[in-house]
Order: sequence, then C-alpha cells, then structure tokens
Amino acid sequence: MNSNSKGPISRRTFLRGAGVAMALPWLESIPVWGKPTVVGGVPAAFPKRFATLFMACGINPDHWWARGAGAEMELSRVLEPMAPYRAKLNVIDGLFNKNATGVGIHPGQTGNILSGASLQRGAELRGGVSMDQVLARHVGQESVQPCMVLGCEQPVTGYHETNFSMAYSSYISWQSATSPVPMEVYPSLAFDSLFDNRGQQRHRSVLDRVRGEAASLAGQVSAADRARLDEYLSSVRDLERRVARARSEQQTAEARGQNRDRPVATMPRPDNGLPEDIRDHMRLMCDIVALGFQTDKTRVATLLLCRDISGLFYPFLNVGLAHHLASHNDRSAAYERVSRYYVSQLAYLTSRLEAMPEGDGTVLDHSCLLFLSNMFSGSRHDSSKLPLLLVGGLTGALQTGRVIDYRERGDDNRKLCSLYLSIMDRMDVRLPRFGDADARLADL
Amino acid sequence: MRPTIVILGLILASVALRSTASDPVGRPDGLPVVLETRFRDSILPFVQKNCVACHSGPKKKGDLDLSVFQSTDAVVKHLAQWEVMLEQLESGAMPPLKAKEQPKAEERRQVIDWIKAVRREEATRNAGDPGPLPPRRLSNAEYDRTIRDLTGVDIRPAQEFPVDPSNGAGFDNSAESLALSPALLTKYLDAAQKVADHVLFATEGLTFAPYPVISDTERDKYCVRQILDFYKRQRTDYADYFQAAWRFRHREALGDSGITLAALAKREGVSSKYLAAIWDLLSGPQEEFGPTAAIQAMWRDLPGTKDTATTVRAKCEAMRDFVVELRGQLVPEVKNLTAPRMSAGSQHMVLWKNDQMAANHTRHAPTGPFKLKLVKLAAISAAAQALTVPDEDDAKKTYEATFSRFCGVFPDAFYVTERDRPYLSFAKERKQSGRLLNAGFHSMTGYYRDDRPLYDLILSGDEQRELDRLWLDFDAISGAPMRQYTAYIWYERAETGFLRGVKAFEAVRAEDKDSTSERKMKQFEDILLGQARATGASETVLKAIMDHFKNMRTALRRTENARRAAEPKHLASLRSFAERAYRRPLSKAESEGLVAFYRQLREKDGLGHEDAVRETIVSVLLSPHFLFRVEPAAPGSGRQPLNDFALASRLSYFLWASMPDAELLARAAAGDLHRPEVLLAQTRRMLKDDRVGGLATEFAGNWFDIRRFEEHNAVDRERFPAFTDSLRRAMFEEPIRFIVDMARNDGSALDILYGQHTFVNGVLAKHYGMPEPKGGPDHWVKVDDARPFGRGGILPMAAFLTKNAPGLRTSPVKRGYWVVRKVLGEKIPAPPAEVPELPSDEAKLGKSLREALELHRADKACAGCHARFDGVGLALESYGPIGERRTVDLGGRPVDARAAFPGGGEGSGLSGLQTYLRERRQDDFLNNLCRQLATYGLGRSLLPSDDSLIEEMRIKLASGNNRFSALVETIVTSPQFLNKRGDVNLSKDTTR
Repeated sequence: MNSNSKGPISRRTFLRGAGVAMALPWLESIPVWGKPTVVGGVPAAFPKRFATLFMACGINPDHWWARGAGAEMELSRVLEPMAPYRAKLNVIDGLFNKNATGVGIHPGQTGNILSGASLQRGAELRGGVSMDQVLARHVGQESVQPCMVLGCEQPVTGYHETNFSMAYSSYISWQSATSPVPMEVYPSLAFDSLFDNRGQQRHRSVLDRVRGEAASLAGQVSAADRARLDEYLSSVRDLERRVARARSEQQTAEARGQNRDRPVATMPRPDNGLPEDIRDHMRLMCDIVALGFQTDKTRVATLLLCRDISGLFYPFLNVGLAHHLASHNDRSAAYERVSRYYVSQLAYLTSRLEAMPEGDGTVLDHSCLLFLSNMFSGSRHDSSKLPLLLVGGLTGALQTGRVIDYRERGDDNRKLCSLYLSIMDRMDVRLPRFGDADARLADL
Repeated sequence: MRPTIVILGLILASVALRSTASDPVGRPDGLPVVLETRFRDSILPFVQKNCVACHSGPKKKGDLDLSVFQSTDAVVKHLAQWEVMLEQLESGAMPPLKAKEQPKAEERRQVIDWIKAVRREEATRNAGDPGPLPPRRLSNAEYDRTIRDLTGVDIRPAQEFPVDPSNGAGFDNSAESLALSPALLTKYLDAAQKVADHVLFATEGLTFAPYPVISDTERDKYCVRQILDFYKRQRTDYADYFQAAWRFRHREALGDSGITLAALAKREGVSSKYLAAIWDLLSGPQEEFGPTAAIQAMWRDLPGTKDTATTVRAKCEAMRDFVVELRGQLVPEVKNLTAPRMSAGSQHMVLWKNDQMAANHTRHAPTGPFKLKLVKLAAISAAAQALTVPDEDDAKKTYEATFSRFCGVFPDAFYVTERDRPYLSFAKERKQSGRLLNAGFHSMTGYYRDDRPLYDLILSGDEQRELDRLWLDFDAISGAPMRQYTAYIWYERAETGFLRGVKAFEAVRAEDKDSTSERKMKQFEDILLGQARATGASETVLKAIMDHFKNMRTALRRTENARRAAEPKHLASLRSFAERAYRRPLSKAESEGLVAFYRQLREKDGLGHEDAVRETIVSVLLSPHFLFRVEPAAPGSGRQPLNDFALASRLSYFLWASMPDAELLARAAAGDLHRPEVLLAQTRRMLKDDRVGGLATEFAGNWFDIRRFEEHNAVDRERFPAFTDSLRRAMFEEPIRFIVDMARNDGSALDILYGQHTFVNGVLAKHYGMPEPKGGPDHWVKVDDARPFGRGGILPMAAFLTKNAPGLRTSPVKRGYWVVRKVLGEKIPAPPAEVPELPSDEAKLGKSLREALELHRADKACAGCHARFDGVGLALESYGPIGERRTVDLGGRPVDARAAFPGGGEGSGLSGLQTYLRERRQDDFLNNLCRQLATYGLGRSLLPSDDSLIEEMRIKLASGNNRFSALVETIVTSPQFLNKRGDVNLSKDTTR
C-alpha cells in the first residue's frame, strides 16, 4: 500500500486512535498512572518539561531582533509570530558554541549544538551526549517515554567536504559520544510511541511464548527438579503482570476521563506514511509534543524541524529554492519568509501548550521551549553567535519577557553550554559542568 | 564465642536447605545393628545431655534443632547437619567454653567416631549417587561465554547482571545457589534484546556483528570492514609473484623437481592464476623493446640459487618497484564531465568519472610511453635500454603497442579502497582520507566497487563468488543503494539548484516510502533529462544520466530481490540458532512453533521482517531451554543414564564453562558420546582447546578466590603507583594462564605448589624484576625457571599476595589463612567479632608485623587458630603489599621470612614453605584439589556418596604422575557424571 494513501482507516488504526483520544491531562492522570498528585494536602509540583525546536542554516539576520521587555517588547518581522506570547518569551542574543566554530561549515556546526562537544572527522562518529538526553536520564525516567526525538526530514549519511560525517548534519540528539538517537520522522509512529507502547506489546508476545515453554517443560522434569522452573514461571508472571498493569491503568484513566466528561486531550492517530505537505508534518509533530507534555507521557522532546543542509521546499511561501540554497541568500525577502515560518512553528507549539490549563497556569508555564539554529547567517555560514529563543517559565524558575544580549561579554561568558547548565539547574538536574562550560549563564 | 555460633547457624541453615533435596537413591536396609545400638546407648544420651538445651525449641541456637533426632533414620536423612556437628566436636568449638559442663574426652571421641562410621556407611551404600541436580540456570559467566560461542561475538551482556551467589564450596555454577528472580528475568530480557541488536541480515542467513548494527552507519562500517578484510587477505605484491616465479625456474635446484606452477603457488600462498600470467610474461618469447622487454631483462638478471634468499628478494622487490614506478606514469587522466549549470558533484557525473578511471587500471595514457622518467632504474641497464623511445615513427607505434600487454598484466591498482572526490582538484582533496569504499560524492551516501583487476587477474572462481557475495551482502544488509538514491534526490534539491523552478520536481521527495519505485524513478529521470536537454547538456552527459538510472534500478531491484530471497534463509538460521541455544535438536513442534511465533509477530503484531526476527531471537534467549541446563528426567529408580545431549552440555560447561561446540553436538547426535573411548577422546580434545580458559577462570578463579580481582581496589595507588589497571589485569591473568597451560599440556597438579615456571607479560615482568618480553599487554611468555626472581607456582603470584594484604601492609594472617584454607582445604572457624585490628599502615606500626602477631598469639583464645596459619603467612613476608619482592618493610625494618610452621618444622621464605608443604601437607593439598574439582565438575556440593570418587581420583592421580587429565577423566567417567537420579513417579512416555 502506498504509505501516503488516505484510504479507509484500518480497524487496528481505529482502535489505536480511539484509545488515545481519551488520554488524560497530567492532573487527572497522575493518581492512576504515577505518584499521587496530593501528598499530605500539598499538591505535588507540576512536572517541568523541556523541548528543543531546531531550524537549520540560520535565519534572516536583518530581521532578527527584539527590544524592550514584557508586554512592551518590540519584535522584528521574523519574530513577530511570537507577539502574543512576548511576556513569556526570552530573546537571547550572542551565545555561541566554541567547538562549532573554526571547523568548517555545516556538519561541524550542527552535530554538537546540544552537547558542546568537539566532533571527530572521518569514518568514526564521535561527539558528546546532548543535554536533552542528560535531562531524559533524570527527569525523563518518570514518564512513559524518557525523551521524544522527532524530525520532519530524514537523516542522511555520507561525507561532507569538511570530512565530517553527514550524520552530524542530521542528528542533534546524542545518547552517547558515538551514537545519535534514532529520530522518528513518521507522525503515526511518534504517536504510537507515546500511547501504544509497541515494546510492551512485543514483550507480551515473548513472555507469553516462554511461559508456555516453561509450563510444558515443568511436566518433563521430576517433582524434585521443578522448584527452579517454578521460580522462572513466577518471574515471567510477575513481568506479565507489570505489563498488564500498565495497560489497565491506562484504561482506567481513559474510563475516568469519559465518566467525568472532562476536556481530555484529544488527537486522532495520524495517518501512516509522511504527510505530503511539510506544514502538516510540522504541525502534527508539534501536536504530538504538546500532547506528550500535557499527558505527562514525556517531559523532554527534541524536534528537528529541518536537517542541516535541508532539502525542504516551501512552495506555499513562494520560495523557489530548497531550504539550504535559499539560506545562501539569507538577507532576501524569501528567506525572511522562511525564517518567520519557522518561528511560527514555535508560536504554534506555544499556543498549544498555552491552551492547556494546569493548576493555576498552563502547561506552557511549567515548560521551557528552546528554539535555535546552527548559524546566525547562512550566507556566511556564521556560527560565531546563534539565534536563540526561550519560551515558558518552568514554574517560575525562569524569569521571562526579557531580551538579554551577551555579545559584548567575552567568549567565556556567552557559552551555549552555560545556558544548558542554567536550564538544567532549573529542571533540578544540577551538574558541575557540561560540554565546554563549568559556569552558569550570568543574568538568566 | 557467640560469633562462632552465629556463623554455625548460617552454615546449618544452608545445609538444611540442601538436605531436603538430598534424599538418597532408594533406601534399603538401615544401619548395621552395632551402630543402631550405639546410637541408643550413648549418642542420644550425649546429645540430650550436652546439646539439646540450646539446640531445640523456638529459640534454638543456630537454627539447629537436635531434639528431632530420635532415630538413626533421621540422622541419615540429615547427615549434612551431623557432619557440621562432627566438625564442631572435633575442633572443640562445641559445646562452648562457657557451658556449665564439658563432656569427657572419651565421650566426645565416641560421638565423633560414631558419626564418622555412619558417614562411611552411607558413603559406601550410595557410592556413585548422581545426587540432586535440578535444572541449573546458566551462571553469569556461563551466560556470557555461551552467548560468545552462540553468536561468534563476545558481547558480554551479563556484566549488567546482579552477581551470582556461590555455593558452600565457593563455586557459582551449582543449582543450589543459582536462583532466579523477576529482577534477573528483566535483565535477561534486556540482555536478549542487546544480543538481538547485533544480528545481521545477510543474504545467506543470519550472522552477528561485534557491535549493535541497528543504524545505517554501523551496518555500513561492518560491511565495509568485511570487504576491506577480504582485499587485505589477497596477495597483490608483485615481488611475491616474481619470487615465486624464480622459485619455479629453479625448482630442481631448490629440491622441488616435479612441482607444478599451481602447486607452488598454493604453497607460497599466492594466486595460481596470476602467477601463471606472470610466468608466461617473464618466461615467454623475449620481446624486443618496451616495458615487457625491460622486465624480462630484469628477470633474466635474477641471481641463481647460490645467492642468499635476501639477495633474491631484494632483486624481486627492485622489479616490483620498477613496475610500480612505471605504472604510476602511465595512468590516463580523466577530465571532469561538465554541463551548463549542472553540478560536477551530481551522482551521475561523479560515477561517470569513476567508471572511466576504473576502466583505466589496465590501460595506459597514449602519451605516457614517450615521457617516462624512471629514477629507480639504473640508466645503463638492459631494462633502461628497452625503454628508450625509438626514433622512427613506425618503431614508435610498435613501441607504444607493447605497453598495452604490459598494462593488462600489471594494473596501476588491483582495487581502490579510499576515494576522495574525483571532480575536485587533487590538491584540495589530498588530505581527505578515510572514506572507505566511498563513491566520492559530496555529502551523499554512496559506495563504489572498484576491484576489477583483482577480480579478473587474481581471484579464483570461488574467491570471485565470495567477493560478489560480500558486495551483495553490503547492499542487502545496509540498504546502501536505497540511501544513495534518496540522497541523489536530496542533493539535486538542496545542493545544486539545477532543477530550480522545475515545478514537477517538488513532487519528487526523498521522504516518500515509494521514492525508489519504478514510477517515481522514471518521473525523476525524466525531469532531470528534460532539464539537461533544456540547458544544453552533451550526449555524454545525457547518457551518463540514463546509465546512472539504469544502474541504480539494477542495484535497487537486485537488493530488494536479495532481501526477499534471504527471508526463508533467515528463518532457517533462526531454527539452527534455537537448536544451538537449546544445545539439542528441536522437536518438530518446537521448530514449527518458532516459525509460527515469527509469523504471529509479522501478521498479528504488525512487525517487519527484521523486527520479527530480532524478537524471535529474544524469545529464544529468554526461553527456559536456553537459560537452564535442563536434563530430562529419567523415569525409574536408582541412577539412570543421561542422554547424550545432556552429557555434551555437562562436558562443555565443565571444561569450557560454555555450550557444546559442533563436534560435541555431532557426537551426541550420533549417540556414541557416552561410550568411554569417545567420551575420553572428546575430553582430551576439549582440554587442548582455547576455551579451556573457561575452566581455568571459573574453577581456579573461584577456588583461589580471585574471580573478582579485576575489581580489587584495596591498594593505595599513590603509595604504589606501579599498581595500574594493566598490572592488576596481568596479575589476574597469571594464575589463569598457569592453569590453562596445565590443562592444555597436561601438566602435573603438583606444579600448583612447586612449579618453577610462571607466565608474564611486559607489565608483570617489570613488576617481578624479570626481563620484559616485547609486544603489547596481550603478549605473554612462559618463564621456565622463575625461581631466581622469587616466583614459580601459584603461591608467590602477585594476585594472591595482593588480594590477601590490606593495602599498606602485608597480612601474614590473611595470606597464611588463604594458603591453609583455600589451597590446602583445612577448615578453620571464623574469628570472633571482637578481634583487635592491627594498624592498616605498616609504616605506622611501632614494631614489625611478626612481633605484633606474636603478641596476638600470646592470647590463648587466639592462639588455637592462629598457630594453624600465621607461620605460613610469615614465610611470605619477603613479598610486599602488592606482591613485590622486598628486603625492608614500609616502616624501614628488615624483612624476616623465617617461620615456624603449623604442626612443627621451620623454614624460611618461599622455598622453606614449599619444603614444608611437600613434607607435611601434600596429601591435604591433593585431597582438596580433588574435592574442589569434583564439586565444580559435578555442579553441586559433594555428598558422602562422592567419597569413592575422590578416592579414585587420588588413586588415578598417584598412578598417573599427578597429571591433571587424570582428575578430569576420572570425573567425566564417574557414575555421578554419566547418570541422573531416576524419578519413580515419571512414566516413560511423559519424557522426551
């Protein structure tokens, strides 16, 4: 079947979709899915979430600026889509990633954007663990998916002229120094990973099979010999119960939501295959991130809106060239439209989270969204400073509505990894150093 | 004495667990009357008078209730408890000193004798009882080794498992101690998935890579390596062929008369096909001028057999250097293909150039022959003469023509393994190395096969097929053609701008799953050709585009077909994988069930082929048939012979700590493994195999208590900077290599104590003050006489000396205890809890350790035990805390290694200790060795009924020069090893 066909929905797809439409927001779901919301009369703290949205090849440098603070903040044309949320926005200027400078263009500027590591040229991949994966290992352990790593463009391999692997252009999320995190580009599968744990389903099949084997085996050994096999059988049953419990808890949550007629998180399962239109693709991925955050299925998400040296086309913006080629003329009106389009994706995700009430605020108030690119100017392949936005206050841990400029503070005081340390602090993950930084970012 | 009681309690508790399962093989008559009578008359009264007060009731001491023993039947049933009583009575630990009244010595003697008599009685009556052997889970060490032998790659997933407990004898391979918990099962699940991540979907079946091969980059890396290794194995050095040809010329003088060229090639390890071509060219009709004439001149000039081999070799290498230099100057230059607005880096452009260059390996540049500059050729030589360009035009033509044949035999390269981007300038690209088998694209995945000269000139038919298969596997495993094609689309989109403004191109997307379908490929090809024509591309360029699409189609379809055709082979692989994992043939139902599971995963759970195969592998590795060594129950009573497959596993887990290999399974399948001559032949073969390292590591490592030495962290590395990780690793390996050597070369078991040899690598030799062998840490040498360096045998090995020293001082107590307890097998009660600690740093000790220990022994409560081992440890005082030899201790006091040994005798140092052992303790050692090896080999604690086995081992050892094989062979041919307890409750037809 053509993966893009929009034929009748299969029963399986329908069931999956139906199940998910009932997923509950965090507050409702916690009592059945995890820790009690209320401990001794004190509500448990809201989970803090973090998402990265990456755009490649820089922005239009002439139209990337902001002035003033709070509701009075003045925004450039490219940043304009963020206007409704300026009180919850921080525009950070002048940060850079030292190891992504002086190493040639493109892959060397990209593969370490979340790790600050120095990248190795040639056939063997070597970089560093990215900060989203560090967060996943800490805060992510509380949720179904420690981290969602999504992309709207397929990764590529091969070598760039700088002799860096193109894998560095395709992956910003790294689970170890040598392995990037496989990126999910299919919205349907990203959706499944949150709500219909395929791993669990598979485990059930395997457990079912080996339990059968053990039972038949028990009949073939003497009574005296059976004790060890019984131990095995009860261990298998124990694991099965755990898998079953996870499922039944989800069903309970769904039923509760139905009975109370609460506004539950609803989203039908996306179609198989890739959306024809990149606008649909990006929007679906943002929806999935929002849903994952709202239902506390995940607390960390990384979304590669496009890959470095991207081949995405934007006919709807009346831009004739693919992304990468368009970025070589980054001061053009066309690339301004491209840049604004990407900021509007951030605005869209922001709007989704802002529309999700949680306690006295919204999910956005308990989150931090990071938008960044690997260059400031694509025509000059300039990564001496990066365009960077933060949205959301992390439950008051992060002051918002500000424009902070680090350009004139000296290289030691404008490290991207310092920002990561500061953000991780605010997510209660305190590290002495990360990447090339051992100090927090001043004045954040 | 409280602590002793607590310890005793623990021992008894474990004994109690064991005894429930040790109901012996049937119970005919009771004990002889005399023992029955004595039990009533004196034993029972003794116990009631001296023991039951504490050992009964709800508060029974040591969890031991002696009030239940009202009959000899009860005693026999729980004999292990009475054996502990025996030890306690013999050592005088019970009744405790604080007891109101002690029994008379004569009374004590009587009970001791009685227990011993009962034990003897039982031992004889049940001699050879296989004992209880329930299904044994693989120990962690066995798990790792089994995975290694099952997959062919050493993944070691058990590193993540919780540590296995060991049984009473200190081994972790027995069913008694190997429990299973949900936590461990979860680890098994993770481990199984980890192993499954290594599976490769090759065209001929499943294989395993040494690292996870889930991602494209890892698969590429693996496949590229396979092909490069194949290339590297080929002999392509011209000098080797010249030399072989020379040998053939002089075959008679060299004593090879009658040898054929092919046979000689085989012997020399060169290609017979290519040697024949070289021979034809060199010894064929002499050419007049040109390169062939030149090389023929050099060939004629080779020395005869009187010259040294070195001279001949040097001359052959000079011939090679000439060819290489000459060929380097004849390579035709290929210009870039260009077209207006089209990128020279587009795939079709790059590949066109690659094809030209590849075809040129056996051609020469037309102008090449006329501007040669051969610096390596002596100007006045006949060879140089032959390459003088003739003056006349006709002669020039003939001269040039001679180059064709020459270049056809001597390519400029047999294969190309690294390629920069040929469309860019050479200078810019020179530094870009390491792009293995690369097509030379810019930012795109793409590999290029360029090995035609190797294929045509050197490889035999079989080798050609192997190489073809490796390339097909590369495509099928990694899907490189698919990625190359989608990268093509992306490149034309994001990098070149050639299709700028072509509306139709927007629908051609790399992301589409059907982007490689015929329809979409045609669409892209038409767009590209249309734009090429519109922009005025040449016919060559248009043809390059069409050729590229044709080739891509072929590659894609070939890959798809190969993948499809491989699926049934993968299922067959799954079956044989399960068979080897279960260490026996699958039943028909099992075989079908396995495939049915795969189908279910695909059809019901919606998995793809690869996921379903991986998941099936997970289910095999999580199966009780894999995780447990299950020996089918034998119906009937008494001992029942084991089936041959179960026997094969017993053998392999004993000698290798791993699964049986193909040969062993074949013998089991043939059904003759249990025949003594087959069994012994297999045993001898297995002892010679490298895998006997499993026995050395698991048996000796656990026996000597150093299995976890690689984690030993008690050494202060600031004070002992020599103690690095590599030294620690070497220390651990020394005794293992010693035992491996003993097993493989069937050395004397007494070498453990008195051996004069040992094994060292560089770092350990340095530590021992020996000459350091060259080579890395993996290069080990045997030192035949290590005595001048104070080494030889197990006792002075650094691992034991270090492990039994608390860091900054030595510990004669711990070292002595280790020798006496571990090596000699003497049972010594644990020390009381309130024992005073010595300072941890020898430098801070006011006196020598020797003096401190003398004070300690002045205390009567301590002397009893310490006299049994302190002396032994003191003899090792000339070795410091990390086993280094020394003359002064850390406090600067001279070291004194004189010792008074337990039970009398004096001596000094290692040789003094060895003399003492030889004269007074050799029996203890051999007895202990037999018991330890039997415990390990049988995989359970010993029973009284094993006494006869131990006796037989001793007899065989004595009559067999103490050879190690005598021990192993006695165990594997014992009734214990060959049989299993029958189960009367089973009828024949319920078992397989």
